[in-house]
Amino acid sequence: MLVVTRKLDEAIVIGDGIEVRVLRIGRDSIRLGVTAQPNVPVHRAEIYEQIRRANAAAAADAGTLTALVTRLRDDAPEPPEE
Amino acid sequence: MSQPAHAVVEFREGLPGFEACRQFVILSGPAVEPFTIVQGLGPDAPAFAAIDPLRVVDGYRARLEPADLARLGAADATPLVFLALVSAQPSGRATVNLRAPLVINPETLRGIQLLGAESAHAVDHPLRAA
Repeated sequence: MLVVTRKLDEAIVIGDGIEVRVLRIGRDSIRLGVTAQPNVPVHRAEIYEQIRRANAAAAADAGTLTALVTRLRDDAPEPPEE
Repeated sequence: MSQPAHAVVEFREGLPGFEACRQFVILSGPAVEPFTIVQGLGPDAPAFAAIDPLRVVDGYRARLEPADLARLGAADATPLVFLALVSAQPSGRATVNLRAPLVINPETLRGIQLLGAESAHAVDHPLRAA
């Protein structure tokens, strides 16, 4: 792991044009500004991990999925009234 | 919709945990209604059952940032398709991930999984209220 010390309003640049800047330093947290192209997704690590686990729990192979859907159809909410 | 319908949607970032799989077939129709099948293409690709979050929670809304719209190739007014992934829990009950729905732009056939910083919704909302 690369470890860099940065002060308020200093930044690092990652690769081609991704900038991470220290915007504010608090007692328990710091505020970072990330500048990147729109096609570069930036996620909070704990949210990404939470969704990774949820996706793993939801994934099935095609065979079990058919059985799952058949079973769940009895359990599904009614369609909204028109 | 009474006819089976399918489309191949590109998720350029993949889904968390399944980053290598970028293309998913979206299948809907009377055989699976009210669910939609989200089937990844390629070896070891995952498949999911999904449902329109509005079928689970009245007035469901998810917040999209401008960067999300850019990744979808969508404008503010583009009608988008939302799909929440369904999990069968070991208890037999099913839950729905309303926290991070798939969002698809049917015009560009591009999709993302929405990982916003804040959401009022749970990753394990009951499919049906007890």
